[in-house]
Amino acid sequence: MADFKSGLRDKDEFSIIDLSGYLDAHTAPELETRFTNLIDKNRFKVVVNLKDLEYISSAGLGVFMAYIETMRENQGDIKLVSLKPSVYSIFDLLGFPLLYDIMKDEEEAINKFKEQGK
Amino acid sequence: MHNNETLKLQRNLMALVEFSRTVNQSLDLDFTLNNLLFSCMGKFLTTKGLVILNREGTAVIRSAKGIPNEEIEKFNTGSVKFGGEEEIRPALPELGESIILPISSSRGELGCLVLGEKITKKDYTTEETEFLKTVINIAATAVENALIIAELKEVNRNLDGRINRLSSLFELSKEFGLLSDERRISKLLAYSLLGHFLSSIYAIIYFEEGHNRVIDTTVPKIKEIVEDLANRSITTHHLGASVKELHPDLSGLKIELVVPMKIQNETKGLILLGKRGGAYDYEETDIEFIYSIGSLAIISLENKHLFMEALEKQKLEEELELAKDIQKNLLPKSIPEMKFYDIAATSISSKQVGGDYYDIIRKDDTNYYIAIGDVSGKGVPASLLMANLQAFLKSICRQEAEISSSTGIINDLVSENTTDGRFITFFWGIVNDETRSFTYVNAGHNPPLLVRAGEIRYLDKGGIILGVMPTMLPYASETIELQQDDLLVLFTDGVTEAKSPEDEEFTDEALEALVKSITGLPANKVLERITEEVNKHANGAMQSDDITVIVIKVK
Repeated sequence: MADFKSGLRDKDEFSIIDLSGYLDAHTAPELETRFTNLIDKNRFKVVVNLKDLEYISSAGLGVFMAYIETMRENQGDIKLVSLKPSVYSIFDLLGFPLLYDIMKDEEEAINKFKEQGK
Repeated sequence: MHNNETLKLQRNLMALVEFSRTVNQSLDLDFTLNNLLFSCMGKFLTTKGLVILNREGTAVIRSAKGIPNEEIEKFNTGSVKFGGEEEIRPALPELGESIILPISSSRGELGCLVLGEKITKKDYTTEETEFLKTVINIAATAVENALIIAELKEVNRNLDGRINRLSSLFELSKEFGLLSDERRISKLLAYSLLGHFLSSIYAIIYFEEGHNRVIDTTVPKIKEIVEDLANRSITTHHLGASVKELHPDLSGLKIELVVPMKIQNETKGLILLGKRGGAYDYEETDIEFIYSIGSLAIISLENKHLFMEALEKQKLEEELELAKDIQKNLLPKSIPEMKFYDIAATSISSKQVGGDYYDIIRKDDTNYYIAIGDVSGKGVPASLLMANLQAFLKSICRQEAEISSSTGIINDLVSENTTDGRFITFFWGIVNDETRSFTYVNAGHNPPLLVRAGEIRYLDKGGIILGVMPTMLPYASETIELQQDDLLVLFTDGVTEAKSPEDEEFTDEALEALVKSITGLPANKVLERITEEVNKHANGAMQSDDITVIVIKVK
């Protein structure tokens, strides 16, 4: 099984989380820690780059659900970018596109943030 | 005129060819229907048009132009039976001089096309109707194909959904199997639920015996009503309206779905969820899925508890084995042969291992100490204190000191060594194998019995039990000149308090009556009779205390 890795980059006021490998029940707590750390640091504008994510299970999707409200309540959001088609189809299957901004790339997500900030 | 007719026909044919090519290119139903409608509306100059599909006998507007959404919704929620024109027309919005034509294929009637009044307010001519029928025939194949594809997509999506659920179940069962802690189990359960149903309102409640609690939630107020929920005996799920009716408090907290987590039909917990996110409601299969992952989680939680309990019990049992070992090693391996004294002794450990102790220690060729004690408490701590006592005794026995002052020293040592309120009831004496004299001190122990000529005398001189406080008053001692055939019986309260299955004690009286009746027997036989009688009384009942007896027959 491909390892799960998560990295964090800051781009001005935006936090970019890079995910790679398999995000499932086993690895979900790692992403959870990322989100709680960001909330502790009052960083609520989050772009998650899924370029290298191979697989996501519903437990992995649940982590996004668990933190989206906190981010939005604090004028932030979680935007998902660069999804592989196989990963997108899982998000789509469970109805995520209705609730989340799922975008082409980081730039598009950041522009959307800036637009919403106006 | 003739030329004009030809031109018109040619234009119609070209339009048909164009239409046919367009709609057959695509397998998308909306695209096909849009094209059908726009083509017809353009051709006949109508502003309103719609396509009704036959969905298992019910008429549903699938595509419409120039008709307000409310009208469409009204029609679609009206459960209009798909039948002939006379059944559909009354349900349709006002369309003026409209025309309804069926869309049929080899699979039967797929639906119908409805076109509104022409802008010119003219009727549809026979020629136009024929043309429309041709268009519809061409479209029908495309519609049929698109419908089949849509069905397949739906089936595929359902399959994907099921596969996704199965893999979730598989994943969770794998994770839960690792005996992860309660917090992790509840988190994983929550994430799986959130991921599937996109609700950010949830609570996971665990009814553990005597400790009902919310183990994870985004609605802290649930904690206030957890006991109340436990008392509601929820054995089946409640959704939407029934939550409102049966659990108005939960409904007030935006809970939409309540699903019990059961083990062997007993509700051990609850999963509470808010409204499902996205465009869906909870369906039967969703609830089944929630039942399934709920079962996985609750079994895992229960297993974890059972495992911890078993571990605890195993630890306790190991400890008791250890205590038994310590105790056994403290007891004398053999009893010395003496001229005037025939001695027999036994100590039977209870399951929980009490703190009984006896010892026979040789001081010199003629003097022997005989001791019996009962340390309060059970298990390893009692055994350790007993080991301490034996160490004190062994060292003090070598000192040339009066037994009464030795007892004072032992009490001081024991008092210093017990901090947790433990104490020892203790009796000891020194027998002389030349003179038959016996000097004893009783520190709060059940008085041993001296039976002489059918009379019982209690050996009760001494002082307070060991370990309660430092020695303030010296212990008293008594010296008795023993006579031939005297019988001494030293015992612990495990004997007289031995319980029958009816929870009745053996009693002092029973012991006294017994020993009086068997004074003629040798020591080992007396001992045998006592244990026999006690066993008979206990009749298999589990004893909570050790049973210790020393019998001394004077020769």
